[in-house]
Amino acid sequence: MKNTLLSINEATRTVNSGSNKVTLLDTINFNVEEGEFISLMGPSGSGKSTLLNCIGMLDNFTDGGYTFLGEPVHSMKEKNRSKLYKEYIGFVFQAYHLIDELTVYENIETPLLYKNIKSSERKAMVADMLDRFNIVGKKDLFPIQLSGGQQQLVGIARALIGQPKLILADEPTGNLNSKQSEEIMELFAQLNKEGVIIIQATHSESNAAYGSRIINLLDGKIV
Amino acid sequence: MILNYIKIAFRTLRKNKGYSFLNIFGLAIGITCASLIFLWVEDELSFDSNFPKQDQVYFVSTHQEYEGEWRTFGSTPGPLAEAMKAEIPGVVRASKTRGLDLLFSVGDNVVNRFGRYVDSDFLDIFSLTFIEGNKAEAFKNPESIVITQATAEQLYGEHEKVVGKILKVNSTDNYLISGVIENLPNNVSYPFAWLAPFERYGRDKEFTREYGSFFADTFAELSPEADFEAVDAQVRNLLQEQTGDADSKAFLHSIKDWHLRADFENGEQVGGRIDSVKLFTVIALIILLIACINFMNLSTARSEKRANEVGVRKAMGSGRVRLMIQFISEALILAFIATLVSVILLLVLLPQFNLLIEKDLVLGLSKPSHILFLLGIAIICGVFAGLYPAFYLSSFKPVEVLKGLKVTQGSATFIRKGLVIGQFTISIVFIVSTILVYQQIQHVKNRDLGYSKDQLISMKVTGSMIEKFSVIKQDLKNTGAISNVGLSNSNILNGGNNGSNLTWTGGVDTEDILISFRLVNSEFFETTGMELKEGHGFSENRAKDSASVLITESFAKLMGKGSAIGKKVTLDDTYTVVGVVKDFLYGDMYGTSDPVLFLNYHDEASFMYLKTNSEIPTNDMLAMVEAVMKTHNPAFPFEYGFLDETFNAKFKSEQLVEKLSQLFALLAILISCLGLFGLAAYTAEQRSKEIGVRKVLGASVSGIVKLLSKDFLKLVGISIVIAIPIAWYTMENWLQNYAYRIEINGWIFVIAGVVAIIIAMVTVSFQAIRAAIANPIKSLRTE
Repeated sequence: MKNTLLSINEATRTVNSGSNKVTLLDTINFNVEEGEFISLMGPSGSGKSTLLNCIGMLDNFTDGGYTFLGEPVHSMKEKNRSKLYKEYIGFVFQAYHLIDELTVYENIETPLLYKNIKSSERKAMVADMLDRFNIVGKKDLFPIQLSGGQQQLVGIARALIGQPKLILADEPTGNLNSKQSEEIMELFAQLNKEGVIIIQATHSESNAAYGSRIINLLDGKIV
Repeated sequence: MILNYIKIAFRTLRKNKGYSFLNIFGLAIGITCASLIFLWVEDELSFDSNFPKQDQVYFVSTHQEYEGEWRTFGSTPGPLAEAMKAEIPGVVRASKTRGLDLLFSVGDNVVNRFGRYVDSDFLDIFSLTFIEGNKAEAFKNPESIVITQATAEQLYGEHEKVVGKILKVNSTDNYLISGVIENLPNNVSYPFAWLAPFERYGRDKEFTREYGSFFADTFAELSPEADFEAVDAQVRNLLQEQTGDADSKAFLHSIKDWHLRADFENGEQVGGRIDSVKLFTVIALIILLIACINFMNLSTARSEKRANEVGVRKAMGSGRVRLMIQFISEALILAFIATLVSVILLLVLLPQFNLLIEKDLVLGLSKPSHILFLLGIAIICGVFAGLYPAFYLSSFKPVEVLKGLKVTQGSATFIRKGLVIGQFTISIVFIVSTILVYQQIQHVKNRDLGYSKDQLISMKVTGSMIEKFSVIKQDLKNTGAISNVGLSNSNILNGGNNGSNLTWTGGVDTEDILISFRLVNSEFFETTGMELKEGHGFSENRAKDSASVLITESFAKLMGKGSAIGKKVTLDDTYTVVGVVKDFLYGDMYGTSDPVLFLNYHDEASFMYLKTNSEIPTNDMLAMVEAVMKTHNPAFPFEYGFLDETFNAKFKSEQLVEKLSQLFALLAILISCLGLFGLAAYTAEQRSKEIGVRKVLGASVSGIVKLLSKDFLKLVGISIVIAIPIAWYTMENWLQNYAYRIEINGWIFVIAGVVAIIIAMVTVSFQAIRAAIANPIKSLRTE
């Protein structure tokens, strides 16, 4: 049997909007196993991003249980939670969210700084990554000097540099044309083969097809 | 990590040039301003600190009671110093001194220098260092003199051995130079260029050996073990025993207080320069505060731009503390750059500032204390200014900012508005204060003095000016440049030469009233333009007036109802009042002056006054006067002053406050405007979409300018409301120091308010107009 990376148990996420309680995620149950590549699908507002954020520990479920590598995330202190996602999770965003003031090299290096990795080691790791993504020649450019596809490439490189077990990608190709999309998806598929677990949120059927499993969301519920 | 912060800080700076400029420049002005003030404060605090015996040296002063009020005088009787040393065990050394100007001539080289006749103890009290000669031998010969190195160089040139030389003094006496001492620094309360044995001065002056005459400056050194309270009381008893006068209380004034705490009111020490020092220290801190507020405002206003970065960094695993460290580091870097800029500004501005405050301050960048101070200011400003933005920015939730949700600016907007109100409140208080200080000084300057200070030259009496007075007077008048020549024993503008040992017709408790004596010639009144109210003036023929006095109106009032003419005043002899002169102002320009008694006796005159003819150009007039003086008083250099200038000089400390408050008001407003300008820019940017939509819907440019300016003007309005009571209270307090003062007028607040509003409007409307005339398509397309 494959190892379970995380399991979500009867989890709910609500927010207060004025005097109304709005339910964003409604009693979600699912597990993620090693080696999976999951595509979350659903229309806008169905709760894909909220679910990704909660899994990524940037947001919390209001109710229910969330276990990550056997640790109960729902009852953890903020500090430990941060330690956990720093160690095991990488994020890829639709709008890339690279830091404009940093070069490609420095953007990729940033997560390592927060992991307190030594300078020489960092250099080697970033160099590897640049090499692997074929962007050595662009390492001193600023994000604004790159195309969207290249920026997302850097975004993925940055997510991978910390050697995460899990990559959470929220509409990673939403701002890209079809050719660039395809390249990024190929890359994800490649990474998945190398053992990285991927959860992506997407609108696109063809992108979803890269996944090993598709979960459909509607109004905060898995359907 | 730190390197990463520094890198990103510099890139952010470069990317937002306008913002960086506002921030750095604002802070730099604040730091420059504070540094200038602190340099001045340092100088003030260092007065007399070069003398090693800080805890042992005292100046003996007296409080004397007149009309129920204790006044404080620096003069003490000659024998007091020796008596203190002999009878009070705690007193180790004591010296009576008499400060005078002496004229030294070496060949054609003639200089006038102030110095003191002192007892030999003086040299040890102040631990003076001899460069030439030695302390033990210095005062052996009563005809000897010790001069400072600077004086020696002025007289004989550099590198000249001068001990043993004979120095011609006042063109009549010869003193043997027995020593050269190190120069005194500028910041000394009782400076001197020479010291000579008191024995020589007192030789033919009986009053120096009597307790009845208060003329000397007495210095004393207590033993380190002495009980100050006890010695102080013993000095008081000693003087009261010797003079038999219970209304005269001697006290010891510590060297540490000479410069900073030298004001006395009714026998109590009430401060002095220390008040200005404190005031300006507070002002410096306020200006720094305004500059830091700018920083916070601009940083939080820019928060939306940084929000994304905060979100990404948090998602990358950065903790809040790390983000705070990052933002504080950025603030620190800005503060350091601002400090560097301010060092450059200081180098440029210090000479101007020195001119303004008439001091000789140096930046002293090699002094560790100054470097530490600048570093300290940079660190404090950086941390202080960066702390709030750091707290605020690092609090963003990554989920929200990364989703592109508007950052809720609730608390930040509120605080930002509060900070703008704070800045403008301070600026308005400064504007009001500046106007009031200016008004008060003008008010006193335009006060009816009772004499005309214009077209009046004053000269110190030297050499044979008295013996040859009638010839000098005639020759001066013959030039046509001088219309009258007056003589007096005292400077018109100053107090002194007073006593209470006289009685008069109708006088009750006359001992309780201090009367000033003025020994003048008959032309003195015409020369100075003092007005005769009753009776007649003095006669040219002094013999006729041997039993006559003139008095001022306030004196006449003391004599009871009816005309004072014919009433008697008894001094050593009895005199008859022949005329009453209008009261005139001297001494404290803000107070009321004591009654004055004039005698027609000019043999002891110290000042000669010349009323000049306004039709003759000043330079020609001076040349003519000089020619006359050179003929009749050739041994002495022609030295003179214009009374109106001397008068203006009496307002030095007030004028310092005036000039500095103007400067600070200007700077505070400038810094506040920089901040407001930046804020307006960001508001316009933030609302660019709203403006675009409004324009598409048909809003006019003026309507949009109004929309954008309104909020800021509201803030300025609130500032005015807060500033008025603060300014009123502060300035009312300040004005209470002056007996002759203005009342605070309501329209000043109106002016200050209008000025603040106009300034704010100009600052904001620039941005508002720019935003309003921008093409709406652009702002809408970016979404």
